[in-house]
Amino acid sequence: MSYLHAPRLVFTGDFLSDVSTVNNDTAHYNNATFQPNFQDPGKGATNGWWNPEGGAVFDFQNCAVKQIFLPDGTTQTSQSDDIIIGQAVVGAEGRPTGKMVDLDPDAQMFSALWCVQLRICTANGDLLFKGDITTTSFRDLQMRQLDGGKSNGQPLGASWTSVITNIEWGVLAEQSAFLKTLRATTQNNTLAINMSPFGYYYSHNDGRFSLGRIIGSIGPYFENEPLTFAAARRLYGINYTPSIRGTFFSISNFLVEPDAKRVSVDFGASFPVADSIGTVNYKQDLRLAVSKIPQAGVASRQTPTFYINPNDFIEIGALDYQSDPNWLNQTGGIVSFNNLPDATVSALAANQLILVSPSTSQPGQFAIIAREAIDGLVARADNFIQRLDDGQSVNIDFYAYQWGNLLPNTSISVTLDPATPDTPVGPQNPISEIYGNNFPADGLTFNGQISTNQQGKAQMLLTGNAIYSPRVYIDGQIYFITYQTATVDQAFGTEQIVVHLRDYFEEIANPVWGDISEMMIQYSNLYPIMSKYVVNLADPVALAEKKKILIFAFSRDINDTMHMPVTRDLSSTKRNTILNWLNNPQIAPKTVVRSDAREARTANPAAPGTALTDKQTRYREAVKAKNGSFPGFSATNDLFENL
Amino acid sequence: MLQIDSRYIEKALSANALEELYPLLQNAVELEHSTIPPYLTAMFSLNPGTNPVQRQVIHSIVIEEMLHMTIAANILNALGGHPVISHADFVPEYPGPLPMGIGNGLIVGLEKYSTDVVKNVFMEIEEPENPLVFKSVSLAALPTYSTIGQFYQAIQRKIDELAPDELPGDKSKQVTSSFFPADELFPIYTKQHAIDAINIIIEQGEGTSTSPLDQEDELAHYYRFEELYKGKRLVKDDTAPNGYSFSGPAIPFSPEGVFPLFPNTKINMLPVGSEEWKRMTEFNTSYYSLLSGLHTTFNGQPGMLDNTVGVMYDLKLTAQKLCATPFPSKPGYTIGPSFEFIVPAGS
Repeated sequence: MSYLHAPRLVFTGDFLSDVSTVNNDTAHYNNATFQPNFQDPGKGATNGWWNPEGGAVFDFQNCAVKQIFLPDGTTQTSQSDDIIIGQAVVGAEGRPTGKMVDLDPDAQMFSALWCVQLRICTANGDLLFKGDITTTSFRDLQMRQLDGGKSNGQPLGASWTSVITNIEWGVLAEQSAFLKTLRATTQNNTLAINMSPFGYYYSHNDGRFSLGRIIGSIGPYFENEPLTFAAARRLYGINYTPSIRGTFFSISNFLVEPDAKRVSVDFGASFPVADSIGTVNYKQDLRLAVSKIPQAGVASRQTPTFYINPNDFIEIGALDYQSDPNWLNQTGGIVSFNNLPDATVSALAANQLILVSPSTSQPGQFAIIAREAIDGLVARADNFIQRLDDGQSVNIDFYAYQWGNLLPNTSISVTLDPATPDTPVGPQNPISEIYGNNFPADGLTFNGQISTNQQGKAQMLLTGNAIYSPRVYIDGQIYFITYQTATVDQAFGTEQIVVHLRDYFEEIANPVWGDISEMMIQYSNLYPIMSKYVVNLADPVALAEKKKILIFAFSRDINDTMHMPVTRDLSSTKRNTILNWLNNPQIAPKTVVRSDAREARTANPAAPGTALTDKQTRYREAVKAKNGSFPGFSATNDLFENL
Repeated sequence: MLQIDSRYIEKALSANALEELYPLLQNAVELEHSTIPPYLTAMFSLNPGTNPVQRQVIHSIVIEEMLHMTIAANILNALGGHPVISHADFVPEYPGPLPMGIGNGLIVGLEKYSTDVVKNVFMEIEEPENPLVFKSVSLAALPTYSTIGQFYQAIQRKIDELAPDELPGDKSKQVTSSFFPADELFPIYTKQHAIDAINIIIEQGEGTSTSPLDQEDELAHYYRFEELYKGKRLVKDDTAPNGYSFSGPAIPFSPEGVFPLFPNTKINMLPVGSEEWKRMTEFNTSYYSLLSGLHTTFNGQPGMLDNTVGVMYDLKLTAQKLCATPFPSKPGYTIGPSFEFIVPAGS
């Protein structure tokens, strides 16, 4: 079961993400070289990017349920059909909003939602249901906007997949046939949710600064299924679009339900849009089909388009999106074809789904816009973002599927990526030396050869070991761990587990200010909203005055809605040391020179100038794109024309 | 001198059953809350890093108003009533009168900090029955007015008269918090608890009739505001008629360290759909969330109070950003937080 199963609902609206941005630059973490202008808005490393005073707030705005999809294959769009349609989707009430934070400045592509509550209520505030979205991080970043993001600044979109727990059903839920069915279908009083954010505004245009569009889908959850991705089949874009040097329709989830004779494809995270609010105004003839022959094409500039003869596929149907520019916002981009012929259903059991468009350059042929993963293989790690202290262990859960079914006896190899070199100060890196990632290799222990069991699942124990300030001025290290099955589909590539392993640090029972000043000054530098409006984190006297509220905030559990976002970066020993200080603030400097750790720093095995792997290079470009500092996005005017 | 519509005191004094005190205690909760938006607006208008004493004084008073609101709600619960907080009627229209005809027409608005506002509004709100006049020439005979203090005393007297020793309310609804000392915020189980708690409200607000200090030896609100108005600390002075004089250290004030908030900003003054309008919506959404969280807290889920503390920070941060934001098409002004009761879209 997943957000693509019936019954499901679709909601659309905006999200507010008031992320803070001084911490987007790794060099800003160096207290010794920090300058006040790093807290001013502006591009470039010597400024604080688009929102230096961000407070990490994430919230739903103007979101409403657009339509529902029922087990019998019908779609309802009017409140007269079901009371839930048209109702508002809102965030928390009576407790702080959710928060959105990155894992680390060296791991910015996995922005995570923490403590987000989702409520569906009527205009009078009467509850239909509410629940808590389990922490989940970005996956599947892809290009969305044909205009290159010129008004908003960020043309990429992504996906958050998760589950909703602690569900409370309102009295009104009884009046919704949809909710009654959903409640009866789902397990553990948990729901599956997927959200596709895009169109985010770095710019102060259109009254939408720090807003983006979000499309969500909520469906039933079943026990033992992954929590942060759908147990679905996957469609990858393989048509190279020169203006973006990549593909549109890059990644879409889909579900085949043989018993219901149905295929449902989620283009909510992939459908190309004209602008930041999801308008669809191109009119290409796009069709879904099942390829009778294996497809292994991978988009490249050299081979931008792959073709297929109509004799080689079974057509399922055309996407009916052209008549309504608001199609994506209304439907969530989820397309279901019901009552498929038996031949189509059985073909889908072991053949690739494809998205095609009639070719103009090769009449009679069809260009393949996207194709399913080779051999229908999908293997993914579930809890792929980790924060670890030394001595802590966690089981990483893997799931392998073929053609949508769990796949036993599949070996997965897991490898730590090579160390990246340090970057000395220079014209491209003006502030401070930036230290590399993925070292020391013995910081993590895991068995890199695992295999799925009879249920198609595998677990890998990952243990954090003591490391000693490999990045000098930033706590801990970021490790990228690539995993793959025997064959890698280059249309998608490999995925990674990303770990922030915190530095070894011995808790200080009776600390003086000098013991915690470096940490607190760093927070003060990176999160000006705190020092400006709440308490100057760099001032021990001010901290001591506010110790009550700070102890309150620093002592919350990481999943507590009141947990301060920045303290998720701290190891428990550092957090406890800060708490120890707050409980007995001693405003003396430290007597011992604080250079021991630096001298003992683990050397980077990668020599300066060591070339990055292709994936590491692409990652760095993607980070630039995410931060709005990549100038290379131009508009696409003729998508899929003249193929 | 600040007056209260004497009907409310008569109502209290003529009560024949505890139930008749419920609406009055509800009024008290509303009154204590109603002073917080004006105080906070003035506090948020102080530029970060400037005018620290002004900020600290207002902050300390706001915290005590929150305490008083909590005490009033606890008493209402202890008597068997139900505080109503997340309701449109709970929030006053600013500028406008405070609940219960307080101040005999005193109009309270949401304005930037100024010594005028401190003198003409804040000190008026907090004015005791017989303010002690320190180093003041005129000590004209003071007529008797009905004050907030007298209102609370009337309720106190009626509780003493009508209530059983063990109060009838559900004890599990009492709200306490680690943010307040246990001798100021304690559960109200007995008549004596209620009487003691009301004394805290009266004294923190007004001082005692012979001293500007309350039982905790802190200056009452009125005198703390008066310090800001006079720009001097009120200190012990054996040579002064009442033993105190404004002869302490100067309290510097820099008017340029105050954001020029447009008085009584309303969301409908902002262009619909603009960034400024959205931020104000965000602010009012937090405000609604806070009231809603407090309503839940005072209606059977006291543990929710901690969550509302987090919402207060959301509210504060949004408000302070608003205060620094230029007001569209009103040159020379920035945007004040509007504290409007707006149920968030669809909520």
